[in-house]
Amino acid sequence: MPLLINRELVDNDSWQLVDAEALESNTLPAGDIIVPLAYYQAHEAALNAREGQVAIQVSGDDEIDGVLENPNQFPLIAIFIPALRDGRCFSIARLLKRAGFKGQIRAVGDVSHDRLDFLTRCGFDALDIPADRFSDEVFNAFSEFSVRYQGAEDDSRPVYRQ
Amino acid sequence: MYQYNQVDQQLVNERVASFRDQTRRFLAGDLPEDEFLALRLMNGLYVQRHAPMLRVAVPYGMMSSQQMRTLAHVARKWDKGYGHFTTRTNIQFNWPKLEDVPDILEELAKVQMHAIQTSGNCIRNTTTDQFAGIIADEIEDPRPYCEIIRQWSSLHPEFAYLPRKFKIAISGGPTDRAASQVHDIGLHIVKNDAGEVGFEVLVGGGLGRTPVIGKQIRPFLQKKDLLSYLEAIIRVYNLKGRRDNKYKARIKILVNALGIDTFRELVEAEWEQIKDSDLQLTDAEIARVQGFFTPFDYEADAANDTSLEAKLAEDETFAHWFRQNTVEHKVPGYRAVIVSLKAHLVAKGDITHQQMDLVADLADKYSFGEIRSTHNQNLVLADVRKQDLYALWQTLSEANLARANINTLTDMTVCPGGDFCALANAKTLGVADQIDAKFEDLDYLYDLGEIKLNMSGCINACSHHHVGHIGILGVDKKGEDWYQITLGGSDGEDASLGKVIGKAVAADEVADTLEKVLSVFVEQRIEDERFIDCVRRIGLTPFKEKVYAPAH
Ligand code: HEM
Ligand code: SF4
Repeated sequence: MPLLINRELVDNDSWQLVDAEALESNTLPAGDIIVPLAYYQAHEAALNAREGQVAIQVSGDDEIDGVLENPNQFPLIAIFIPALRDGRCFSIARLLKRAGFKGQIRAVGDVSHDRLDFLTRCGFDALDIPADRFSDEVFNAFSEFSVRYQGAEDDSRPVYRQ
Repeated sequence: MYQYNQVDQQLVNERVASFRDQTRRFLAGDLPEDEFLALRLMNGLYVQRHAPMLRVAVPYGMMSSQQMRTLAHVARKWDKGYGHFTTRTNIQFNWPKLEDVPDILEELAKVQMHAIQTSGNCIRNTTTDQFAGIIADEIEDPRPYCEIIRQWSSLHPEFAYLPRKFKIAISGGPTDRAASQVHDIGLHIVKNDAGEVGFEVLVGGGLGRTPVIGKQIRPFLQKKDLLSYLEAIIRVYNLKGRRDNKYKARIKILVNALGIDTFRELVEAEWEQIKDSDLQLTDAEIARVQGFFTPFDYEADAANDTSLEAKLAEDETFAHWFRQNTVEHKVPGYRAVIVSLKAHLVAKGDITHQQMDLVADLADKYSFGEIRSTHNQNLVLADVRKQDLYALWQTLSEANLARANINTLTDMTVCPGGDFCALANAKTLGVADQIDAKFEDLDYLYDLGEIKLNMSGCINACSHHHVGHIGILGVDKKGEDWYQITLGGSDGEDASLGKVIGKAVAADEVADTLEKVLSVFVEQRIEDERFIDCVRRIGLTPFKEKVYAPAH
């Protein structure tokens, strides 16, 4: 799937999102992996013992207070977006930023053109766009608006403090 | 009123371009229907029974004459020559073509108008009192705060995909003319013991399927904390509001499920984190926005007018209109005029392009070029000299805009219902005509006094039927239109939800049923008691007995 990091297409990403089947059978691939938070919590010791880095994927249904306490134990946190209408991802990203998270925040799931700018403003660095929703036009998404009223994670100053 | 600066204009222009691009991608098949649906709604575009419907924002009900002329132009060029004012003070066009909408938006942008967030699961137009800034009983003009909220909420990157729509209303003083208690957030401008002006904050009001009156979450909020507190409430809602069932997704359901105390704890904890951030409003910003709402250059000698008294004495029809359709202004010599969009047998809230142009001209001539829309689907010319009232009334009368029925039974608030709306269970317009026809006699209406009648064509409650003194809700019974009647609702500072009096009545019996209801009121009324007070005093039983008495 096309991956944008800091608005640029990258093709040398080392992270693998572990699929449900592999999780079920506990046959994790080698290298850097992203696993769901619940799986991480259940297999923390084993995961930390393997080679390669481990990241988590959270979704709106997860209780993330524990993650917010120490987010920098992870180099990357993916936020799963089940559907276009689910806007929890935006708040979760902002909470991670506020908790001082320095790693990469990656959007996975239903990630498409018309939300890329808002995702970026809320602190997402990486946007994993499904292949069928990707075209060169998505790069326009970042320049559709040159002005904005609110502060967000890209710039905390609202218009009246700029 | 507020004037766009370069940033405001740029944002609206860029939204037009982005919507044009979204429409193009949709028509080219690159944007799935379901996704375009969410995006077009967020820009005010519904698809209803016959055609798309475009809802244009009238922020907190304020329009310039120039904007009104553009609305007339839109109605002429892209619609069938009319528009419809809604209970959220916006205007809807019922007949535009999808592919024309970007051009309409471009035309609107030229006069600082847009359709941003007039629908969809985002923060909607903030509404307020139609007499803001001119009424004696207000503590402070709420419009600057509406504008501050408009800017903060427009294209807010975090809150564009909330669990459900989100509506905020602000009342500027103790008399609530903004229905603030039935909004997701209601703000009341109040003064605390130290004499500081700030906001009382209510949360979790709303109508629709589950009507709820808002609950106080904070008795006093400093002005500088306005946006951080709103952000805290909406962040908690965004994270915790239900998304599995759209009928349970409004904030009122969350607040009721958690209880207001738990909800408050969550909000206050979140707010603690952000209240001292850049979100804090600066005095300079508040003052800048307030600068757009300063009083006009009222004429000091306007109060010396004697012509009005003479006209009132000699022309009874004018005197009725004056009494019903004008309101005291805080500046002596001036009145606020309600332009009735409740003409006899005309769809309530509808206005033709000729009438729009005329109202624009009258605003220029008599009312500093500004017009307001009300949540009861009327218009207001807020700053008219007393000496001009007679001439204004004459012109309005000729244009069918001076029916002297404000706050009476026929000043009905009515949604478009089954004739237009795809969600309707029943039609509303025919029933409104039936009521108009039955209760044409103005003297009878004046004797009845203040009555608010609200009629919705389905449980979505676009016309706030739960909070009408009399509410009428269209229901579908085996393919036929029936109407359920509620009594005792109010959307004012004494907000209450009406109660159903019994089984629904058939379409042709609505006006007759109202007649029975009113006859009980007339019998039981003590002196000049208002209808709503009488219902509260005597309860529903006498009304039920009369309406459902076996025929003999
Ligand atoms: C014609 C197309 C329209 C459609 C498809 C439509 C749809 C809806 C829906 C689905 C809701 C319920 C949302 C919810 O409870 O979460 C709603 C509520 C509402 N609508 Fe409409 N509406 C339309 C026209 C109007 C008009 C003409 C007005 C004003 C006269 C209006 C004002 C409102 C208001 C004030 C509410 C909020 C009631 C509450 O607080 O729950 N709408 N509308
Ligand atoms: S109340 Fe129902 S019928 Fe009336 S406009 Fe709203 S959705 Fe349509």
